[in-house]
Amino acid sequence: MNEILSLTNVTKSFQHKIAVNDVTFTIGKGEVMAILGPNGAGKTTTISMILGLLKPTAGEVQLFNHQPHEKQVREKIGTMLQEVSVMPGLKVREILELIRCYYPEPLAMEELIDLTGLTEQDMKTRAEKLSGGQKRRLSFALALAGNPELVIFDEPTVGMDITSRNRFWQTIHHLADQGKTIIFSTHYLQEADDAADRILLFKDGAVVADGTPAQIKSRISKQSVSFIVDPEISLENLYLHSEIDDIYRKNNRVYVQSNNTDRVLELIFQEKIGARDIQIERGKLEEAFEQLTSSAKEAI
Amino acid sequence: MKTFQMQCKFEIIRVLRNRYFVFWSLVMPILFYYIFTNVVNTNAPDKAEWQAHYLMSMTVFSVMGSSMMTLGIRMVQERSQGWSTFIRITPLSDTVYFAAQMMGQSVIHLLSITIIFIAGALINDVSLTALEWVMSGLWILLGSLPFLAIGTLIGMMKKVETAAGISNVIYMVLAVAGGLWMPLEIMPKMMQSIGKWLPSYNFGNGAWEIVRGNMPEWKNILILIAYLAVFMLLSKYVRRKQEAV
Repeated sequence: MNEILSLTNVTKSFQHKIAVNDVTFTIGKGEVMAILGPNGAGKTTTISMILGLLKPTAGEVQLFNHQPHEKQVREKIGTMLQEVSVMPGLKVREILELIRCYYPEPLAMEELIDLTGLTEQDMKTRAEKLSGGQKRRLSFALALAGNPELVIFDEPTVGMDITSRNRFWQTIHHLADQGKTIIFSTHYLQEADDAADRILLFKDGAVVADGTPAQIKSRISKQSVSFIVDPEISLENLYLHSEIDDIYRKNNRVYVQSNNTDRVLELIFQEKIGARDIQIERGKLEEAFEQLTSSAKEAI
Repeated sequence: MKTFQMQCKFEIIRVLRNRYFVFWSLVMPILFYYIFTNVVNTNAPDKAEWQAHYLMSMTVFSVMGSSMMTLGIRMVQERSQGWSTFIRITPLSDTVYFAAQMMGQSVIHLLSITIIFIAGALINDVSLTALEWVMSGLWILLGSLPFLAIGTLIGMMKKVETAAGISNVIYMVLAVAGGLWMPLEIMPKMMQSIGKWLPSYNFGNGAWEIVRGNMPEWKNILILIAYLAVFMLLSKYVRRKQEAV
């Protein structure tokens, strides 16, 4: 097993609040994983513990089978934090030169410029005079400077315009193709769905779901078959089938919830209940996710 | 080793690009020196001695300022902008980082000392023996240690504005009360007896003694070491308290 990162029963509590509660997961080489969840779900705290910036209250974090703060771990990871960090007084090129020399096998400067879209003008600008977008590009370049095997981004696209967002995800795909392991946090389901091949869903400091985007989506959005039927007809037979999760009536229509809508159609005809005007309803993904988000907000 | 060299190099570049440093540590002391040895008539009995004395005062003033302000404010800046956090994730070790900061700072001090000494030699023909030049330069370089410790204390403050304000006040009070702007002898008795215990006076007095052909007094050395110890302990205590939260 090419295990890059493992968290075992990791808990972090601050004075009165448990920020991360008994989280366990592992990541293998080459995975692109999104840590998805609403604000306050414990995403940043989890990332801080992975980076060794915070110590878990209980449990263990291991990267490349070592502790997060060890030098050999640091040489293999790159990161972009939420807080934009700059070193005042130096030009972008000088900062990159300096950071590159911390690593045993840094990425070539040209490649770094190529990947991050830094312009010749950016390179000559002093860190304190950079615009928001330029700062983001610099942070991105700093994350990649050491040619890391594992790249960790905390809410990477916050404050990016559409063009830089697209460019960013393009680069991420490019890095993934090279076999790099990538972890990023986001509160947009869409982003996680587009970019990741695995989603870790966080809610109130705990992992509530872990799977491919398709699996996660099917979990949080239910599909159903709806139809009109004579109210006299009993639907009891339908209840006997285990594929069906729920049946309810709304606005004169019957809704049958299931992940396998094909099977539901088959059953409807099989039981000859006389259903008409049959429709297949796809649950609205964003709606379902927002529901999850808002309930988490109330809990804080 | 390459990392250490690069780190030093860039630390030095950063200081030299800092306009406040250039103004407070180079322009101001040289300007003051010119004014108080040429424009204002101080009625000093021995003119050559006064010119050498005041050259030392201004060099001490310069190095004291960059120890406290340049170092301290930069530390606050790096922390408040998240740079320190980022550095913690890189493979750069704390030891190399700290050593490079101190080394960079020392090179900057050496540079300030050289420039101000040359300015003194050019403006007033201050002529000391080679040994006196070297000894006074070395004294100022080493004597800056307690002030670097004050710098790290200032560096623990949360906001750049507070750090800049407070360090400025401490700097000016220490400079005036320690006899760097005008000799302690012309101040009221009260001020004199307080001033003799300040780190700035003892820092300056070592250099003043050297240009008079003497050695720094033992008392100067001991007092500076005591201040260094106090500030280092204090800085350790504050750091521990901050980490506990």
